[in-house]
Amino acid sequence: MPRAMPGVLVQCDPSIKAIIVKINAEHNHDIIVEEIDEEHVLVKTSKHELLKNLLKDALKDTVKEAAESSESE
Amino acid sequence: MSSTASQRALDYLEQLPGTTFTKLYQQPSTALAIFRRMLPHLAKTLVMAMLYMPTPFSVADLDLWMKPGNDSLQARDRALSVLQRLRILFDGQDAAGRAAYRLSDSFAKSLRLALTGSGNHRSFGVPCSTPDKTPVTVEYLDAFARKQWDAILYYVVGSASVGLGGSVEISPGTQQLLQKGEFVKLHGRSAAITQTGFTFLLQEINAQIWTLLIVYLEVSSSLQMDPVDVLSFLFTLGSLELGISYSTSNLTPTQRHMLEDLADFGLVYRRSAESTRYYPTRLATTLTSDAPALPNNSLTAATTNPSDPGSNEKGYIIVETNYRLYAYTNSPLPISILSLFAQLHTRYPNLITAKITKSSIQAAISSGITADQIITYLTTHAHPVLRRQQPILPPTVVDQIRLWQIEGERMTAWQGFMIRDVGSQEDYDKAVAYAEALGVLRKEFRSRGSFFVSRMDQMSTYFKGQVAKKKAAQAQAVAQGQNSKGNTPLGTPSKA
Repeated sequence: MPRAMPGVLVQCDPSIKAIIVKINAEHNHDIIVEEIDEEHVLVKTSKHELLKNLLKDALKDTVKEAAESSESE
Repeated sequence: MSSTASQRALDYLEQLPGTTFTKLYQQPSTALAIFRRMLPHLAKTLVMAMLYMPTPFSVADLDLWMKPGNDSLQARDRALSVLQRLRILFDGQDAAGRAAYRLSDSFAKSLRLALTGSGNHRSFGVPCSTPDKTPVTVEYLDAFARKQWDAILYYVVGSASVGLGGSVEISPGTQQLLQKGEFVKLHGRSAAITQTGFTFLLQEINAQIWTLLIVYLEVSSSLQMDPVDVLSFLFTLGSLELGISYSTSNLTPTQRHMLEDLADFGLVYRRSAESTRYYPTRLATTLTSDAPALPNNSLTAATTNPSDPGSNEKGYIIVETNYRLYAYTNSPLPISILSLFAQLHTRYPNLITAKITKSSIQAAISSGITADQIITYLTTHAHPVLRRQQPILPPTVVDQIRLWQIEGERMTAWQGFMIRDVGSQEDYDKAVAYAEALGVLRKEFRSRGSFFVSRMDQMSTYFKGQVAKKKAAQAQAVAQGQNSKGNTPLGTPSKA
Protein backbone atom coordinates (compact mmCIF):
# COMPACT_ATOMS: atom_id res chain seq x y z
CA MET A 1 0.00 0.00 0.00
CA PRO A 2 1.46 3.37 -0.93
CA ARG A 3 2.27 5.77 1.85
CA ALA A 4 2.08 9.56 1.71
CA MET A 5 3.95 11.89 4.01
CA PRO A 6 3.09 15.58 4.29
CA GLY A 7 5.99 17.99 4.30
CA VAL A 8 7.86 20.68 2.44
CA LEU A 9 10.19 19.63 -0.34
CA VAL A 10 13.24 21.84 -0.39
CA GLN A 11 15.50 22.11 -3.40
CA CYS A 12 18.89 23.79 -3.01
CA ASP A 13 22.58 23.62 -3.91
CA PRO A 14 24.66 20.88 -2.25
CA SER A 15 26.51 23.55 -0.27
CA ILE A 16 23.28 24.96 1.10
CA LYS A 17 22.10 21.44 1.86
CA ALA A 18 25.17 20.89 3.98
CA ILE A 19 24.25 23.95 6.03
CA ILE A 20 20.66 22.71 6.37
CA VAL A 21 21.92 19.36 7.63
CA LYS A 22 24.13 21.15 10.14
CA ILE A 23 21.21 23.29 11.34
CA ASN A 24 19.18 20.11 11.66
CA ALA A 25 21.84 18.51 13.84
CA GLU A 26 21.92 21.59 16.07
CA HIS A 27 18.17 21.36 16.60
CA ASN A 28 17.73 17.79 17.84
CA HIS A 29 17.23 16.50 14.29
CA ASP A 30 13.75 17.91 14.50
CA ILE A 31 13.62 19.67 11.11
CA ILE A 32 14.45 17.22 8.37
CA VAL A 33 12.11 14.31 7.69
CA GLU A 34 14.19 12.74 4.96
CA GLU A 35 17.39 13.52 3.11
CA ILE A 36 16.54 12.57 -0.45
CA ASP A 37 19.65 13.33 -2.47
CA GLU A 38 22.38 15.93 -2.84
CA GLU A 39 19.93 18.68 -3.74
CA HIS A 40 16.65 17.71 -2.08
CA VAL A 41 15.44 17.34 1.49
CA LEU A 42 11.98 16.83 2.91
CA VAL A 43 11.28 19.15 5.82
CA LYS A 44 8.50 19.21 8.43
CA THR A 45 5.88 21.75 7.38
CA SER A 46 5.83 23.34 10.83
CA LYS A 47 9.60 23.83 10.84
CA HIS A 48 9.95 25.33 7.37
CA GLU A 49 9.73 28.98 8.49
CA LEU A 50 12.21 28.31 11.30
CA LEU A 51 14.62 26.73 8.86
CA LYS A 52 14.34 29.67 6.46
CA ASN A 53 15.22 32.12 9.21
CA LEU A 54 18.07 30.00 10.56
CA LEU A 55 19.47 29.60 7.07
CA LYS A 56 19.32 33.34 6.49
CA ASP A 57 21.23 33.92 9.74
CA ALA A 58 23.80 31.29 8.87
CA LEU A 59 24.38 32.81 5.44
CA LYS A 60 24.67 36.31 6.84
CA ASP A 61 27.70 35.16 8.82
CA THR A 62 29.41 33.38 5.95
CA VAL A 63 28.60 35.41 2.84
CA LYS A 64 29.82 38.99 2.71
CA GLU A 65 27.60 41.27 0.62
CA ALA A 66 29.42 43.64 -1.70
CA ALA A 67 29.09 47.26 -0.62
CA GLU A 68 26.30 49.19 -2.36
CA SER A 69 27.53 51.44 -5.11
CA SER A 70 27.05 55.11 -4.50
CA GLU A 71 23.61 56.49 -5.34
CA SER A 72 24.76 60.07 -5.91
CA GLU A 73 24.49 61.65 -9.31
CA MET B 1 -5.38 37.02 -19.38
CA SER B 2 -7.54 36.47 -16.32
CA SER B 3 -6.38 32.99 -15.55
CA THR B 4 -5.25 34.12 -12.11
CA ALA B 5 -8.68 35.54 -11.42
CA SER B 6 -10.59 32.42 -12.29
CA GLN B 7 -7.98 30.31 -10.52
CA ARG B 8 -8.67 32.18 -7.31
CA ALA B 9 -12.39 31.74 -7.68
CA LEU B 10 -11.87 28.08 -8.50
CA ASP B 11 -9.74 27.53 -5.41
CA TYR B 12 -12.42 29.11 -3.28
CA LEU B 13 -15.26 27.12 -4.84
CA GLU B 14 -13.38 23.86 -4.50
CA GLN B 15 -13.33 23.92 -0.73
CA LEU B 16 -17.09 24.42 -0.42
CA PRO B 17 -19.13 21.43 0.79
CA GLY B 18 -21.11 19.41 -1.77
CA THR B 19 -24.49 20.57 -0.50
CA THR B 20 -23.53 24.18 -1.22
CA PHE B 21 -22.83 23.22 -4.81
CA THR B 22 -26.23 21.57 -5.17
CA LYS B 23 -27.89 24.75 -3.94
CA LEU B 24 -25.67 26.96 -6.07
CA TYR B 25 -26.37 25.04 -9.24
CA GLN B 26 -30.10 25.58 -8.83
CA GLN B 27 -29.52 29.05 -10.29
CA PRO B 28 -29.19 28.93 -14.08
CA SER B 29 -27.03 32.07 -14.01
CA THR B 30 -24.54 30.34 -11.71
CA ALA B 31 -24.38 27.22 -13.84
CA LEU B 32 -23.83 29.31 -16.95
CA ALA B 33 -21.16 31.50 -15.31
CA ILE B 34 -19.24 28.49 -14.06
CA PHE B 35 -19.53 26.83 -17.44
CA ARG B 36 -18.40 29.96 -19.25
CA ARG B 37 -15.60 31.04 -17.00
CA MET B 38 -14.14 28.18 -14.97
CA LEU B 39 -13.99 25.27 -17.38
CA PRO B 40 -11.23 24.46 -19.86
CA HIS B 41 -12.45 24.02 -23.43
CA LEU B 42 -12.30 20.24 -23.37
CA ALA B 43 -14.40 20.19 -20.21
CA LYS B 44 -16.94 22.43 -21.95
CA THR B 45 -17.09 20.01 -24.87
CA LEU B 46 -17.71 17.10 -22.51
CA VAL B 47 -20.44 18.94 -20.63
CA MET B 48 -22.13 19.95 -23.87
CA ALA B 49 -21.98 16.39 -25.15
CA MET B 50 -23.44 14.96 -21.98
CA LEU B 51 -26.01 17.68 -21.37
CA TYR B 52 -28.90 15.96 -23.15
CA MET B 53 -27.66 12.43 -22.65
CA PRO B 54 -30.33 10.39 -20.84
CA THR B 55 -27.96 7.78 -19.39
CA PRO B 56 -24.53 7.97 -17.78
CA PHE B 57 -21.64 8.15 -20.21
CA SER B 58 -19.35 5.15 -19.90
CA VAL B 59 -15.65 5.70 -19.33
CA ALA B 60 -14.77 3.37 -22.18
CA ASP B 61 -16.87 5.41 -24.63
CA LEU B 62 -15.21 8.60 -23.48
CA ASP B 63 -11.79 7.11 -24.11
CA LEU B 64 -12.87 6.30 -27.66
CA TRP B 65 -13.45 10.01 -28.24
CA MET B 66 -9.94 10.93 -27.21
CA LYS B 67 -7.07 10.94 -29.61
CA PRO B 68 -4.44 8.49 -28.44
CA GLY B 69 -1.27 10.12 -27.20
CA ASN B 70 0.05 11.57 -24.02
CA ASP B 71 -1.04 15.17 -24.61
CA SER B 72 -4.68 14.43 -25.16
CA LEU B 73 -4.77 12.03 -22.23
CA GLN B 74 -3.34 14.72 -20.00
CA ALA B 75 -5.88 17.21 -21.28
CA ARG B 76 -8.64 14.67 -20.60
CA ASP B 77 -7.50 14.03 -17.04
CA ARG B 78 -7.21 17.74 -16.36
CA ALA B 79 -10.67 18.44 -17.71
CA LEU B 80 -12.19 15.59 -15.72
CA SER B 81 -10.37 16.72 -12.60
CA VAL B 82 -11.77 20.25 -12.84
CA LEU B 83 -15.27 18.92 -13.49
CA GLN B 84 -15.07 16.61 -10.50
CA ARG B 85 -13.66 19.29 -8.23
CA LEU B 86 -16.55 21.57 -9.11
CA ARG B 87 -18.99 18.70 -8.46
CA ILE B 88 -20.28 18.87 -12.01
CA LEU B 89 -19.26 15.35 -12.94
CA PHE B 90 -19.75 12.26 -10.80
CA ASP B 91 -18.62 8.69 -11.10
CA GLY B 92 -21.48 6.33 -11.74
CA GLN B 93 -22.38 3.15 -13.56
CA ASP B 94 -24.13 2.71 -16.85
CA ALA B 95 -26.85 0.16 -17.53
CA ALA B 96 -24.30 -2.59 -18.14
CA GLY B 97 -22.65 -1.87 -14.81
CA ARG B 98 -19.50 -0.43 -16.35
CA ALA B 99 -17.79 2.62 -14.84
CA ALA B 100 -19.36 5.76 -16.26
CA TYR B 101 -19.66 9.49 -15.71
CA ARG B 102 -22.85 11.39 -15.06
CA LEU B 103 -23.52 15.10 -14.80
CA SER B 104 -24.80 16.65 -11.60
CA ASP B 105 -28.58 16.73 -12.00
CA SER B 106 -29.06 20.27 -10.75
CA PHE B 107 -26.18 21.59 -12.83
CA ALA B 108 -27.43 19.94 -16.01
CA LYS B 109 -30.98 21.17 -15.45
CA SER B 110 -29.87 24.76 -14.78
CA LEU B 111 -27.51 24.86 -17.70
CA ARG B 112 -30.23 23.59 -20.02
CA LEU B 113 -32.55 26.32 -18.70
CA ALA B 114 -29.85 28.93 -19.17
CA LEU B 115 -28.97 27.87 -22.69
CA THR B 116 -32.50 27.55 -23.98
CA GLY B 117 -33.75 30.58 -22.07
CA SER B 118 -36.74 28.73 -20.66
CA GLY B 119 -38.20 28.65 -17.18
CA ASN B 120 -39.31 31.39 -14.85
CA HIS B 121 -36.30 31.49 -12.59
CA ARG B 122 -35.44 35.23 -12.82
CA SER B 123 -31.87 34.39 -11.97
CA PHE B 124 -30.48 36.69 -14.64
CA GLY B 125 -31.80 39.73 -12.83
CA VAL B 126 -35.08 41.55 -13.32
CA PRO B 127 -34.79 44.80 -15.29
CA CYS B 128 -36.84 47.70 -13.96
CA SER B 129 -40.10 47.93 -15.82
CA THR B 130 -40.38 51.70 -15.44
CA PRO B 131 -37.71 53.88 -17.01
CA ASP B 132 -35.53 55.93 -14.67
CA LYS B 133 -36.55 59.59 -14.49
CA THR B 134 -32.92 60.65 -14.79
CA PRO B 135 -31.19 57.86 -16.70
CA VAL B 136 -27.59 57.07 -15.83
CA THR B 137 -25.12 56.96 -18.70
CA VAL B 138 -22.47 54.30 -19.22
CA GLU B 139 -19.76 56.97 -18.95
CA TYR B 140 -21.07 58.00 -15.57
CA LEU B 141 -21.08 54.39 -14.40
CA ASP B 142 -17.51 53.91 -15.60
CA ALA B 143 -16.38 57.03 -13.81
CA PHE B 144 -18.16 55.97 -10.65
CA ALA B 145 -16.67 52.49 -10.75
CA ARG B 146 -13.19 53.85 -11.33
CA LYS B 147 -13.49 56.37 -8.52
CA GLN B 148 -14.60 53.73 -6.04
CA TRP B 149 -12.06 51.14 -7.08
CA ASP B 150 -9.19 53.62 -7.14
CA ALA B 151 -10.09 54.69 -3.63
CA ILE B 152 -9.56 51.10 -2.53
CA LEU B 153 -6.21 50.91 -4.32
CA TYR B 154 -5.20 54.26 -2.83
CA TYR B 155 -5.97 52.95 0.58
CA VAL B 156 -3.84 49.85 0.08
CA VAL B 157 -0.97 51.73 -1.53
CA GLY B 158 -1.34 54.84 0.57
CA SER B 159 -0.66 52.73 3.56
CA ALA B 160 2.81 52.08 2.11
CA SER B 161 3.77 55.73 2.02
CA VAL B 162 1.47 57.90 4.05
CA GLY B 163 1.19 61.40 2.68
CA LEU B 164 1.12 60.53 -0.99
CA GLY B 165 -2.25 58.80 -1.20
CA GLY B 166 -5.32 58.98 0.93
CA SER B 167 -7.10 61.85 -0.81
CA VAL B 168 -10.24 59.74 -1.24
CA GLU B 169 -11.99 58.12 1.70
CA ILE B 170 -13.34 54.60 1.66
CA SER B 171 -15.93 53.30 4.07
CA PRO B 172 -14.90 51.71 7.38
CA GLY B 173 -16.48 48.44 6.28
CA THR B 174 -14.24 48.20 3.25
CA GLN B 175 -11.22 49.19 5.35
CA GLN B 176 -12.01 46.36 7.73
CA LEU B 177 -12.37 43.98 4.83
CA LEU B 178 -8.94 44.94 3.51
CA GLN B 179 -7.49 44.32 6.94
CA LYS B 180 -9.27 40.96 7.23
CA GLY B 181 -7.86 39.96 3.87
CA GLU B 182 -4.43 40.98 5.18
CA PHE B 183 -3.85 43.45 2.35
CA VAL B 184 -2.92 45.95 5.01
CA LYS B 185 -1.97 45.56 8.62
CA LEU B 186 -2.68 48.07 11.34
CA HIS B 187 0.24 49.31 13.38
CA GLY B 188 -1.33 51.52 15.96
CA ARG B 189 -3.38 53.93 13.88
CA SER B 190 -1.58 53.79 10.56
CA ALA B 191 -2.01 50.90 8.15
CA ALA B 192 0.95 49.21 6.48
CA ILE B 193 0.84 47.28 3.25
CA THR B 194 1.51 43.53 3.45
CA GLN B 195 2.77 40.87 1.11
CA THR B 196 -0.76 40.01 0.00
CA GLY B 197 -1.41 43.69 -0.57
CA PHE B 198 1.59 43.95 -2.91
CA THR B 199 0.47 41.02 -4.96
CA PHE B 200 -3.05 42.43 -5.01
CA LEU B 201 -1.84 45.78 -6.41
CA LEU B 202 0.07 44.32 -9.30
CA GLN B 203 -2.73 42.05 -10.46
CA GLU B 204 -4.92 43.02 -13.36
CA ILE B 205 -8.16 44.58 -12.28
CA ASN B 206 -10.43 41.60 -12.84
CA ALA B 207 -8.20 39.46 -10.64
CA GLN B 208 -8.18 42.23 -8.04
CA ILE B 209 -11.97 42.24 -7.90
CA TRP B 210 -12.13 38.48 -7.50
CA THR B 211 -9.44 38.56 -4.83
CA LEU B 212 -11.41 41.11 -2.87
CA LEU B 213 -14.73 39.35 -3.42
CA ILE B 214 -13.31 36.08 -2.16
CA VAL B 215 -12.22 37.78 1.04
CA TYR B 216 -15.73 39.23 1.16
CA LEU B 217 -17.20 35.74 0.80
CA GLU B 218 -15.02 34.40 3.58
CA VAL B 219 -15.96 37.25 5.89
CA SER B 220 -19.64 37.14 4.98
CA SER B 221 -20.03 33.49 5.94
CA SER B 222 -18.82 34.36 9.43
CA LEU B 223 -21.46 37.12 9.55
CA GLN B 224 -24.27 34.59 9.11
CA MET B 225 -24.72 35.51 5.47
CA ASP B 226 -25.51 32.47 3.36
CA PRO B 227 -22.58 31.90 0.98
CA VAL B 228 -25.01 30.45 -1.57
CA ASP B 229 -26.96 33.72 -1.63
CA VAL B 230 -23.78 35.76 -1.90
CA LEU B 231 -22.19 33.64 -4.61
CA SER B 232 -25.27 33.30 -6.76
CA PHE B 233 -25.77 37.06 -6.64
CA LEU B 234 -22.18 37.62 -7.77
CA PHE B 235 -22.68 35.23 -10.67
CA THR B 236 -25.96 36.95 -11.50
CA LEU B 237 -24.17 40.29 -11.59
CA GLY B 238 -21.79 38.84 -14.13
CA SER B 239 -24.65 38.20 -16.52
CA LEU B 240 -26.32 41.62 -16.25
CA GLU B 241 -26.15 44.25 -18.93
CA LEU B 242 -24.28 47.51 -18.55
CA GLY B 243 -26.35 50.69 -18.55
CA ILE B 244 -29.66 49.02 -17.62
CA SER B 245 -31.25 49.40 -14.23
CA TYR B 246 -32.37 46.29 -12.39
CA SER B 247 -35.00 45.94 -9.73
CA THR B 248 -34.17 44.96 -6.15
CA SER B 249 -37.61 43.36 -5.74
CA ASN B 250 -36.54 39.74 -6.29
CA LEU B 251 -33.43 39.91 -4.10
CA THR B 252 -33.16 38.13 -0.78
CA PRO B 253 -32.46 40.22 2.36
CA THR B 254 -28.84 39.05 2.26
CA GLN B 255 -28.46 40.20 -1.30
CA ARG B 256 -30.02 43.57 -0.52
CA HIS B 257 -27.50 43.98 2.24
CA MET B 258 -24.75 43.04 -0.23
CA LEU B 259 -25.82 45.83 -2.58
CA GLU B 260 -24.55 48.39 -0.08
CA ASP B 261 -21.14 46.76 0.14
CA LEU B 262 -20.90 46.25 -3.60
CA ALA B 263 -21.75 49.90 -4.19
CA ASP B 264 -18.81 50.69 -1.95
CA PHE B 265 -16.51 48.62 -4.16
CA GLY B 266 -17.94 50.31 -7.24
CA LEU B 267 -19.53 47.13 -8.59
CA VAL B 268 -23.06 48.50 -8.56
CA TYR B 269 -24.40 52.03 -8.55
CA ARG B 270 -27.44 53.13 -6.55
CA ARG B 271 -28.66 56.67 -6.31
CA SER B 272 -29.53 56.23 -2.63
CA ALA B 273 -29.59 53.39 -0.15
CA GLU B 274 -33.42 53.21 -0.39
CA SER B 275 -33.56 53.13 -4.16
CA THR B 276 -35.40 50.14 -5.60
CA ARG B 277 -33.21 50.02 -8.68
CA TYR B 278 -29.52 49.33 -9.11
CA TYR B 279 -27.14 49.69 -12.04
CA PRO B 280 -24.33 47.17 -12.45
CA THR B 281 -21.07 48.86 -13.46
CA ARG B 282 -18.49 47.50 -15.84
CA LEU B 283 -16.61 46.02 -12.87
CA ALA B 284 -19.61 43.78 -12.19
CA THR B 285 -20.65 42.89 -15.72
CA THR B 286 -17.17 41.68 -16.59
CA LEU B 287 -16.91 39.46 -13.51
CA THR B 288 -17.48 36.29 -15.47
CA SER B 289 -16.17 37.35 -18.86
CA ASP B 290 -12.74 37.94 -20.31
CA ALA B 291 -13.29 41.55 -21.33
CA PRO B 292 -11.13 44.15 -19.59
CA ALA B 293 -12.90 45.51 -16.55
CA LEU B 294 -12.21 49.19 -17.09
CA PRO B 295 -11.18 50.70 -20.41
CA ASN B 296 -8.55 53.45 -20.54
CA ASN B 297 -7.40 52.65 -17.11
CA SER B 298 -4.18 54.55 -16.70
CA LEU B 299 -4.50 55.04 -12.98
CA THR B 300 -4.79 51.55 -11.66
CA ALA B 301 -2.19 48.85 -11.75
CA ALA B 302 -4.21 46.81 -14.20
CA THR B 303 -2.02 45.01 -16.67
CA THR B 304 -3.36 44.65 -20.16
CA ASN B 305 -2.95 41.79 -22.54
CA PRO B 306 0.82 41.33 -22.89
CA SER B 307 0.53 40.67 -26.62
CA ASP B 308 -0.63 44.21 -27.34
CA PRO B 309 0.67 46.24 -24.44
CA GLY B 310 -0.70 49.70 -24.03
CA SER B 311 -3.30 49.53 -26.77
CA ASN B 312 -5.81 51.18 -24.48
CA GLU B 313 -3.44 52.53 -21.92
CA LYS B 314 -0.85 55.26 -21.96
CA GLY B 315 2.54 54.22 -20.66
CA TYR B 316 4.52 56.64 -18.60
CA ILE B 317 7.67 54.88 -17.45
CA ILE B 318 11.11 55.13 -19.06
CA VAL B 319 13.85 52.83 -17.82
CA GLU B 320 17.44 53.46 -18.87
CA THR B 321 20.27 50.97 -19.01
CA ASN B 322 21.89 52.69 -16.03
CA TYR B 323 18.91 51.68 -13.84
CA ARG B 324 17.51 55.18 -13.81
CA LEU B 325 13.79 55.45 -14.11
CA TYR B 326 11.69 58.40 -15.26
CA ALA B 327 7.95 58.38 -14.79
CA TYR B 328 5.77 60.98 -16.46
CA THR B 329 3.01 61.22 -13.94
CA ASN B 330 1.72 63.49 -11.25
CA SER B 331 -0.80 61.10 -9.81
CA PRO B 332 -0.06 59.72 -6.35
CA LEU B 333 -1.09 56.15 -7.05
CA PRO B 334 1.57 55.25 -9.66
CA ILE B 335 4.13 57.14 -7.62
CA SER B 336 3.32 55.12 -4.54
CA ILE B 337 3.50 51.91 -6.53
CA LEU B 338 6.91 52.88 -7.95
CA SER B 339 8.14 53.72 -4.48
CA LEU B 340 7.49 50.11 -3.54
CA PHE B 341 10.41 48.90 -5.64
CA ALA B 342 12.44 51.91 -6.77
CA GLN B 343 14.28 54.58 -4.90
CA LEU B 344 12.54 57.88 -5.62
CA HIS B 345 14.82 60.76 -6.33
CA THR B 346 13.22 64.02 -7.42
CA ARG B 347 9.66 65.02 -8.07
CA TYR B 348 8.89 67.58 -10.77
CA PRO B 349 5.40 68.83 -11.65
CA ASN B 350 4.86 66.18 -14.32
CA LEU B 351 7.79 63.86 -13.80
CA ILE B 352 9.52 61.89 -11.11
CA THR B 353 12.99 60.44 -11.32
CA ALA B 354 13.95 57.32 -9.50
CA LYS B 355 16.59 54.65 -9.51
CA ILE B 356 16.25 50.89 -9.35
CA THR B 357 18.78 49.71 -6.79
CA LYS B 358 19.64 46.41 -5.26
CA SER B 359 18.34 47.47 -1.88
CA SER B 360 15.06 48.81 -3.29
CA ILE B 361 14.43 45.62 -5.27
CA GLN B 362 15.35 43.38 -2.38
CA ALA B 363 13.16 45.36 -0.03
CA ALA B 364 10.28 44.76 -2.40
CA ILE B 365 11.13 41.08 -2.72
CA SER B 366 11.32 40.61 1.01
CA SER B 367 7.80 41.98 1.30
CA GLY B 368 6.50 39.47 -1.20
CA ILE B 369 6.64 41.18 -4.59
CA THR B 370 8.39 39.01 -7.20
CA ALA B 371 10.90 40.10 -9.81
CA ASP B 372 8.52 38.98 -12.53
CA GLN B 373 5.76 41.17 -11.15
CA ILE B 374 8.05 44.20 -11.17
CA ILE B 375 9.18 43.49 -14.71
CA THR B 376 5.62 42.95 -15.91
CA TYR B 377 4.57 46.20 -14.29
CA LEU B 378 7.41 48.14 -15.91
CA THR B 379 6.72 46.54 -19.29
CA THR B 380 2.99 47.20 -19.33
CA HIS B 381 3.45 50.78 -18.24
CA ALA B 382 6.43 51.54 -20.45
CA HIS B 383 6.44 54.88 -22.24
CA PRO B 384 5.69 54.84 -26.01
CA VAL B 385 9.32 55.82 -26.65
CA LEU B 386 10.49 52.60 -25.01
CA ARG B 387 7.81 50.64 -26.80
CA ARG B 388 9.34 51.43 -30.17
CA GLN B 389 12.31 49.24 -29.39
CA GLN B 390 12.45 45.49 -28.94
CA PRO B 391 12.80 44.35 -26.17
CA ILE B 392 10.93 47.12 -24.42
CA LEU B 393 13.00 47.17 -21.24
CA PRO B 394 16.81 47.21 -21.30
CA PRO B 395 17.86 43.54 -20.97
CA THR B 396 20.59 44.40 -18.46
CA VAL B 397 18.07 45.84 -16.07
CA VAL B 398 15.65 42.93 -16.48
CA ASP B 399 18.42 40.38 -15.91
CA GLN B 400 19.77 42.24 -12.93
CA ILE B 401 16.35 42.43 -11.27
CA ARG B 402 16.03 38.66 -11.71
CA LEU B 403 19.55 38.09 -10.36
CA TRP B 404 18.84 40.20 -7.31
CA GLN B 405 15.87 38.02 -6.61
CA ILE B 406 17.76 34.73 -7.03
CA GLU B 407 20.46 35.99 -4.71
CA GLY B 408 17.99 36.01 -1.86
CA GLU B 409 16.63 32.58 -2.69
CA ARG B 410 19.01 29.89 -1.58
CA MET B 411 16.35 27.24 -1.57
CA THR B 412 13.10 26.59 -3.34
CA ALA B 413 10.35 24.95 -1.37
CA TRP B 414 7.06 23.28 -2.23
CA GLN B 415 4.43 22.20 0.23
CA GLY B 416 2.84 18.85 -0.43
CA PHE B 417 3.14 15.13 0.06
CA MET B 418 5.87 12.60 -0.49
CA ILE B 419 4.50 9.33 -1.82
CA ARG B 420 6.45 6.07 -1.55
CA ASP B 421 5.99 2.31 -1.45
CA VAL B 422 3.84 2.45 -4.54
CA GLY B 423 4.56 -1.18 -5.42
CA SER B 424 6.05 -2.59 -8.58
CA GLN B 425 7.93 -0.47 -11.09
CA GLU B 426 4.92 -0.60 -13.39
CA ASP B 427 2.59 0.66 -10.66
CA TYR B 428 5.07 3.41 -9.90
CA ASP B 429 5.28 4.54 -13.52
CA LYS B 430 1.50 4.60 -13.81
CA ALA B 431 1.08 6.57 -10.59
CA VAL B 432 3.69 9.13 -11.65
CA ALA B 433 2.07 9.49 -15.07
CA TYR B 434 -1.30 10.00 -13.42
CA ALA B 435 0.09 12.65 -11.06
CA GLU B 436 1.69 14.42 -13.99
CA ALA B 437 -1.55 14.36 -15.96
CA LEU B 438 -3.34 15.94 -13.02
CA GLY B 439 -0.68 18.61 -12.88
CA VAL B 440 0.17 17.89 -9.25
CA LEU B 441 3.56 16.22 -9.76
CA ARG B 442 6.40 18.37 -8.45
CA LYS B 443 9.40 16.09 -8.53
CA GLU B 444 10.07 12.42 -8.89
CA PHE B 445 12.92 10.46 -7.37
CA ARG B 446 12.94 7.39 -9.55
CA SER B 447 15.95 5.76 -7.91
CA ARG B 448 14.24 5.91 -4.53
CA GLY B 449 10.82 4.88 -5.81
CA SER B 450 9.14 7.98 -4.42
CA PHE B 451 7.65 11.16 -5.82
CA PHE B 452 6.36 14.47 -4.52
CA VAL B 453 2.90 15.89 -5.27
CA SER B 454 1.32 19.20 -4.36
CA ARG B 455 -2.08 17.80 -3.48
CA MET B 456 -3.18 14.46 -2.22
CA ASP B 457 -6.97 14.09 -2.41
CA GLN B 458 -7.21 12.85 -5.97
CA MET B 459 -4.07 10.76 -5.66
CA SER B 460 -5.53 8.85 -2.72
CA THR B 461 -8.73 8.23 -4.68
CA TYR B 462 -6.53 6.94 -7.47
CA PHE B 463 -4.61 4.59 -5.17
CA LYS B 464 -7.82 3.31 -3.62
CA GLY B 465 -9.14 2.65 -7.11
CA GLN B 466 -5.95 0.78 -7.98
CA VAL B 467 -6.20 -1.40 -4.87
CA ALA B 468 -9.85 -2.16 -5.60
CA LYS B 469 -9.00 -3.01 -9.21
CA LYS B 470 -6.28 -5.38 -8.08
CA LYS B 471 -8.60 -7.11 -5.63
CA ALA B 472 -11.24 -7.48 -8.34
CA ALA B 473 -8.64 -8.90 -10.71
CA GLN B 474 -7.50 -11.37 -8.07
CA ALA B 475 -11.03 -12.44 -7.31
CA GLN B 476 -11.67 -12.90 -10.99
CA ALA B 477 -8.52 -14.94 -11.38
CA VAL B 478 -9.56 -17.18 -8.50
CA ALA B 479 -13.06 -17.54 -9.89
CA GLN B 480 -11.71 -18.38 -13.31
CA GLY B 481 -9.36 -20.86 -11.73
CA GLN B 482 -12.24 -22.69 -10.04
CA ASN B 483 -14.23 -22.56 -13.23
CA SER B 484 -11.54 -24.10 -15.29
CA LYS B 485 -10.90 -26.72 -12.62
CA GLY B 486 -14.50 -27.84 -13.03
CA ASN B 487 -13.98 -28.03 -16.76
CA THR B 488 -10.70 -29.88 -16.71
CA PRO B 489 -11.94 -32.89 -18.66
CA LEU B 490 -12.64 -30.63 -21.65
CA GLY B 491 -10.55 -27.46 -21.17
CA THR B 492 -6.86 -26.95 -20.76
CA PRO B 493 -5.38 -27.47 -17.30
CA SER B 494 -5.58 -24.27 -15.32
CA LYS B 495 -2.57 -22.46 -14.01
CA ALA B 496 -4.42 -20.87 -11.11
